[in-house]
Amino acid sequence: VRFDTYVVNTILLLFLQRVLLLVASDVDALCACKILQALFQCDHVQYTLVPVSGWQELETAFLEHKDQFKYFVLINCGANVDLLEILQPEEDTFFFVCDSHRPINVVNVYNETQIKLLVKPDDDLDVPAYDDIFRDEEEEEEESEAESDGSEPSDKRRRFEEVCFFCFSLKRNKISYYIREILFDYEQYEYHGTSSAMVMFDLAWMMSKDLNDMLWWAIVGLTDQWVQDKITQMKYVTDIGILQRHVSRHNHRNEDEENSLSIDCMRIAFEYDLRLALYQHWSLYESLCNTSYTSANLKLWSVQGQKRLQEFLADMGLPLKQVKQKFNSMDISLKENLKEMIEESASKFGMKDLRVQTFSIHFGFKNKFLASDIVYATASLMESIEKEGPETTNFIKALDSLSRGNLDKLHQGLDLAKKQLRAIQQTVASCICTNLVISQGPFLYCSLMEGTPDVRLFSKPVSLCLLSKYLLKSFVCSTKNKRCKLLPLIMAAPMDVEQGTVIMVGIPPETESSDKKNFFGRAFEKAAESTNSRTLHNHFDMSIIELKTEDRSKFLDALISLLS
Amino acid sequence: MAGERAVGLVRELQRAAGGHLPPFRAEELRQALEEMRALYERNQADVSEAKAGRTDLIFLIRFRHCCLLRNQRCIVAYLYDRLLRIRALRWEYGSILPNAIQFHMSAEEVEWFNRYKKSLATYMRSVGGEEGLDLTQDIKPPKSLYIEVRCLKDYGEFEIEDGTTVLLKKNSQHFLPRWKCEQLIRQGVLEHILS
Repeated sequence: VRFDTYVVNTILLLFLQRVLLLVASDVDALCACKILQALFQCDHVQYTLVPVSGWQELETAFLEHKDQFKYFVLINCGANVDLLEILQPEEDTFFFVCDSHRPINVVNVYNETQIKLLVKPDDDLDVPAYDDIFRDEEEEEEESEAESDGSEPSDKRRRFEEVCFFCFSLKRNKISYYIREILFDYEQYEYHGTSSAMVMFDLAWMMSKDLNDMLWWAIVGLTDQWVQDKITQMKYVTDIGILQRHVSRHNHRNEDEENSLSIDCMRIAFEYDLRLALYQHWSLYESLCNTSYTSANLKLWSVQGQKRLQEFLADMGLPLKQVKQKFNSMDISLKENLKEMIEESASKFGMKDLRVQTFSIHFGFKNKFLASDIVYATASLMESIEKEGPETTNFIKALDSLSRGNLDKLHQGLDLAKKQLRAIQQTVASCICTNLVISQGPFLYCSLMEGTPDVRLFSKPVSLCLLSKYLLKSFVCSTKNKRCKLLPLIMAAPMDVEQGTVIMVGIPPETESSDKKNFFGRAFEKAAESTNSRTLHNHFDMSIIELKTEDRSKFLDALISLLS
Repeated sequence: MAGERAVGLVRELQRAAGGHLPPFRAEELRQALEEMRALYERNQADVSEAKAGRTDLIFLIRFRHCCLLRNQRCIVAYLYDRLLRIRALRWEYGSILPNAIQFHMSAEEVEWFNRYKKSLATYMRSVGGEEGLDLTQDIKPPKSLYIEVRCLKDYGEFEIEDGTTVLLKKNSQHFLPRWKCEQLIRQGVLEHILS
C-alpha cells in the first residue's frame, strides 16, 4: 500500500483509536517515535509505547497487549518478515509498519487488509510482480507438468482472479506457493530504505502539523543512517536536499534582521561541516584521532601515522597545545576559517571528503550541536553497559535525551560517546597491529577475545557494527593485498559469558561506490541450518546473529564453503 | 514525670512528617488517661482535706490540676491532628484507603472517616448540576486533557471505567486522559512526563 491520500486517510482513521507503538532500539526509530508521539499528542490519540530490541521482545509485547489493542504501529521492525505468520493476530487487528529495513517481505507488500506499510512513493521497492510469486495449487501442478516458465496469458488472468480470492480470504494458509528463485533473488540482499524518521516527518507535513522540532528529529534519523553506513552517499545527499528545503521553510526568519527570533528559540541551520566526530564538544586532537575517516586514512595506529598527524597539524599551522585543548577554549583566531583550512590540508593528505553536508541546531547561547553529535550521544545512551535496571531503562533515557529539556542526559550521552569512540579506536588499532583480521577466503574475519579491554561495550549490536565498519575501513587502508580490500567482514565478540554466547555481525565490503547491500542475513541462516548450530536470529537486522561459542567454528566453516 | 506519656504521643505525631499517619497508640493513650484519673482522684481526696483546714495542700492541688489540663490539651491535640491527617487522606487516596493505613486507624477513626466520606460525597453531589462534581480531581489546574505518563514499576493490568485495560509494565509509556492517571501518579506508579 503506497503513501498517498488513501494511506493518509487510513492513518487518520487510526487517530481515533488507541494504539500500541512497538519501537526498535536504534536512533532512527527513536526519532520516528518522537515525531509520531508529538502527532498523537497533538490529536489526543491514546497510545502505549513499548520498546523492543528484538523479535522475541516483539512477540512477547504483542501477546501481552493483543487483547487490549487492535491497532499496532511498528517502527523500524517488522517489514522484512511475514508478520502475520509470526504473530498470528486476529482478523480485526491492524499493523502500520514504518520500517527502513529492505527488502520488505512480499506477504506484507501484497496484503491489502491487515498490514499497512508506510513507504515513500519514490522509494523503489523492486518487489517481484504479484503474478510471478502467488499462484494457487492447481496452477502449480499444471506448471510442474508442463515445465514452462510462464503459462499463457488467458490462463494467468483466470488464475489471478481465483488467486485473488484465495489471498483475500481470511485463512492465511491458503496463500499459495512461492516461486523460490524469484524470491531468493529478491530477498538475498538486505539494505535500507528511507529513514523512518523522515517518513514520519513527511506524514506530519502532509497533515500540516510539522514543526521545527520534528524536522530536527528527521534530520537526526537520517544522520543515524549515515553514521551507521546504512545508506549510499547518493541517497544521503538526496535526502539532505529534501530536508534542506524544509529547513529553509522553517528557519528563514533569521535572515531578516528586524524580525529575527530570540536567541533562545530553536533554529536549525545547514552546515557544510567537518566530519570529525564530536569535535566541538571535545578537543580537535581527540576528534582527529577517534574519527574513523581520519584515523584510517592517516593510519594512526602506526608510528608513521602519528608522525603524519603531526605533519598534518603543522601544515595547517595549528600548535599542538591549542589543538589538544577543549575546542571551545581554542584561540578564536585559529577557529576562524578552520573548516576551509582543514579541508585544504586534508586533500593534500589524501582525505578529500573531510567535509560533509549536515545540519546543526542552536538554542540559547551555549547550546549548539551537529546532527552527528546527537546521533553518537543517543546511541551511546541506548547501549550503555552501566546496569541501571532492565534494558528498557536505557531506551527511555535515550528517548528522553532527544528532548531539548533534557540537556543533562544529552551531555551524559556525549561523555559516553567519547568513551565509546576511544574504545573503538583503541580496539581497531590493536586488531590491526596484532593482525587479528584474517582472510578466510570469501570474507575477512575478526574475533574479539574475552578479556580484551572494553569488550563488554561490543556485546551490543550497534556498537559492534560501528566497530566493524571502522575496523574494515582501517584494514582496507592498512593492507597491501588488493583482493582483501574488496572482501566483506564478519566480526565476532563475546556476548554473554555465563551463557557462553557470541554475537556476530557481517558487513558488506568497503568500496567507494558500495551499494551497502548485505548478503549475510541469508548466509547466516543457511549456515546455521546446515550445521545445526544453536543460533538466535533475534535482531531486526538479519546480518546480526547470536550463537553458542562452541558452535562458532563449524558455523564459520559452513559459511566459508557456502560463500566460496 | 506527669504528662510524659501525653507529650510522648504529641512528639510522635510531630516526627511523622508529611501527613503520614502512625499507628494509633491505644495503650499509651490508655496510660495517659489512667494517669489523669489517678491525679483527679488524689485531687478529689486532697480537696476535701483542704476544705477541712489543711491549706498547705492547695498548691499541690493546683499543680495536679495543671497536669490534668496539660494532659487534656496534649491528648486532644493528638486526636485532632490525627483526624486532620485522616481527612487529608481522603483527598490523596480516594474513598478506599490502602490496608496498611487502615491498620493504623482506631475503630472510632474509621467511623469518623466513613462519616466524612459520606458528608463529602453528599456535598459533591449537590454541586455542579445533575451528576455532581468530583472535587478530588484536578486539584492543580490541568494544562491539558491528556498527559504522557511513564510507568515506574510493574503494576500489571489497570482497568479504566469504560472497560479498557492498560498493561502497566516498568518503562512503558502511555498517553492517557489526565483523570485516568491521577490516582496512579499520586501513588507513585506512574510518572508524569513533561516534554
